[in-house]
Amino acid sequence: MTETLRKPAIFSVDDPRLVVAEPDKAQRSSVETLVEAPVENLPAVSAPRKRRIPWGAMFWWALSGLVLLALGLAVTNLVGDLFARAPWLGGIGLALALVAGLALLVVMLREIVGLARLATVESMRRRAQDVIASDDRERGRALVADMLSLTRRIPRLARARARLSDHQADIIDGRDLVRLAERELMSPLDIEARRLVVSASKRVSVVTAISPRAAVDMVFVLVNALSLVRKLAVLYGGRPGALGVFKLLRQVMSHLALTGGVSLTDSVVQQVIGHGLATRLSARLGEGMVNGLLTARLGLLTIDLVRPLPFHELPRPALNDLAGTLLRPAEGGDAAKNQ
Amino acid sequence: MRGQTHIGGAVTPIVSDIIEHARLAARAFTEFGEHLLHPTIRLGVTGLSRAGKTVFITALLHGLLRGGRFPVFEPLASGRIAGARLAPQPDDAVPRFDYERHVRSVVIEREWPESTRQISELRIVIEYQSMSGFMRTLTLDIVDYPGEWLLDLPLLDKSYEQWSAETLAHLRRTTRPPLPKPFLEQIATVDPLAPADENAAIEAARLFTAYLLACRKEHQTLSMVAPGRFLMPGDFAGSPALTFAPLALPADQEPPAGCTWAMMRRRYDAYRDAVVRPFFRDHFARLDRQIVLVDVLTALDAGPQAMRDLQDAMVAVLDCFRVGRGGWLSALFKPRADRILFAATKADQLHHSAHDRLEAILKQITEGAIARAGDAGAEVDVIALAAVRATREALVRVEGGGLPSIVGVATPGEWTNGQHFDGKTEMAFFPGDLPTENLQGGDFRSIRFRPPALEETDDGIPALPHIRLDRALQFLIGDRLR
Repeated sequence: MTETLRKPAIFSVDDPRLVVAEPDKAQRSSVETLVEAPVENLPAVSAPRKRRIPWGAMFWWALSGLVLLALGLAVTNLVGDLFARAPWLGGIGLALALVAGLALLVVMLREIVGLARLATVESMRRRAQDVIASDDRERGRALVADMLSLTRRIPRLARARARLSDHQADIIDGRDLVRLAERELMSPLDIEARRLVVSASKRVSVVTAISPRAAVDMVFVLVNALSLVRKLAVLYGGRPGALGVFKLLRQVMSHLALTGGVSLTDSVVQQVIGHGLATRLSARLGEGMVNGLLTARLGLLTIDLVRPLPFHELPRPALNDLAGTLLRPAEGGDAAKNQ
Repeated sequence: MRGQTHIGGAVTPIVSDIIEHARLAARAFTEFGEHLLHPTIRLGVTGLSRAGKTVFITALLHGLLRGGRFPVFEPLASGRIAGARLAPQPDDAVPRFDYERHVRSVVIEREWPESTRQISELRIVIEYQSMSGFMRTLTLDIVDYPGEWLLDLPLLDKSYEQWSAETLAHLRRTTRPPLPKPFLEQIATVDPLAPADENAAIEAARLFTAYLLACRKEHQTLSMVAPGRFLMPGDFAGSPALTFAPLALPADQEPPAGCTWAMMRRRYDAYRDAVVRPFFRDHFARLDRQIVLVDVLTALDAGPQAMRDLQDAMVAVLDCFRVGRGGWLSALFKPRADRILFAATKADQLHHSAHDRLEAILKQITEGAIARAGDAGAEVDVIALAAVRATREALVRVEGGGLPSIVGVATPGEWTNGQHFDGKTEMAFFPGDLPTENLQGGDFRSIRFRPPALEETDDGIPALPHIRLDRALQFLIGDRLR
């Protein structure tokens, strides 16, 4: 801090050098920092992962390249053959091949964009944690601006967004800004996410309990889990493609495998006892409940992964809150919606 | 002694100490019962003269009553507060805080409320819905008082001899005009061991008071010199309790009976017991939450000596408070403030990019008090605050980058270059950079602005603009509104 201290000065309001629209300027500068920040953050995030599995990634790269080449070769051969048979057939074949190629390109682009959006969400969460720790005003502002642009396609947040952008020019500190953004933008989404998780796990437990074959409910659980993950990601503004959903599912599954499906923060006792009692009543019912709880747990883990802001101001939904609503319909009627 | 006994000290008779503590405990006990039925927070608004206590209270009440623009104050922003209303205050002997007049003064006349001359109190009842869905009420009691009186609190722990020595040392050392020359010359003629002379005492007290008044007029902020009641005596005017002055006393000696020294000492003790102690007992010994307002900017403007005075005064005053988290037993008998917020007021005189530095300076000034409160288990926060924001922000492009400036209407007066303010036209100011670590150097000008012009909205008066008032509220009462 060796900068020289500037002297006080006074200016007329009509001075042409005066820019009164300061908040606008602050936003613009924050956009600049916004561009810088992800660049800083992203390599740090993906670097350790790359170092760990270079061979596996390389294998998939090479293999998919080979498959693409084989496909290309097959298609060129086919088009050639068609041309040999009749020129008009060849024309149709070429046109179809071009359309297929174009569609493939678009699909791949979309997948890439979806993955990038997931990465953005992840970096957003990390930045939010940084801002909460450092209470930095400018970075908080940049984050809020990013949050607004991330959620601009979510119609139910129109009012919340308007309120939040109304406060952008106010002097609010970084930590408070993140809290404010979480309260305004996340709370309606949290309620909806909770509803999604509860209804998915209810469905799973009922289907498991009444399905005639184990294979059927396995498929059902898987499909249900996939759709739950996708719905949650879409809800929080992630909009992942198929690859994105698989990536998310893989992360969730590795998490589930680590914790064995039971988090220490949840009351294990309740699950065990509940399971034991239900098994006494009926083996299928017990299985259904376990599957339902697992789905709920999977949903909660997914929420942690796809929510662009960490749970700081609002309470994190716990399995216990959901378990209550899960158990009640088994006793009769689905009068028990989430409160 | 710091941190344990706050009333009395080595010299004060122990018996009166015990009685005092018993009294405080008894009242705390009865209030505890009441608060179980009607949750109540006593919010202590502490600050030296001109720190902005009245404006803070007015803005806070205005915001709560009218539903201000408080995004960070969660209960209000999320709509859980159904409403707030003013209620009759609990202490019948204390005047009511004249909220209506202060609001009118700020909003319509666009003048800051004049400096507070007497103690006043107001109660506001907040109706809210708790997180779990119950309708509840929270009562907030707020006390406003002249900041000059705050300087008396350190006297509780001092004997006349101690106070005399410290005050005289300060008077002889000071180089800030006005100088206390006439007073020092007069007391040089007074022999403390001679038989008591009422006329000499009156003359000394008069000159001493004149010096205090001149100080206050000159500096606007008065940080150092007690006793504060000399400046606004009220009912005590002319009474012996207010007719004393510091004297040059011989060390290691007891005053013989009937001498000037003994008389002065008796009067000092009377002042302490009749004026200071009730004030402390009624308004400071039973606070639940506390906000300490410090006008750092004016002191910075006035120079290093003013800063030192401010720092000394804050240390002395903050030593008197009971802070810290207690168990249920201390909640019953010895209530303490468990959250304390230090706020540098008038932050609207700065561009927001300078607020962090302002907070750092305040942290430095109140370092000891913050550490003590933290050790005692109280939650502490430091913010830059403007209860009423009188300026907008702007950027002036000059050579070598932009000057982060503020735009507002300054009160009539003069700038360093002789330019005159008429109190009507808007001007852009760059107040100068705040000093960095050592609080020295730097050329900073603090400008007094008039309250902002507000556009009339459909529903009458719009909410007052502010800086971080919502954060202060969230910290002070947000946890009790869950």
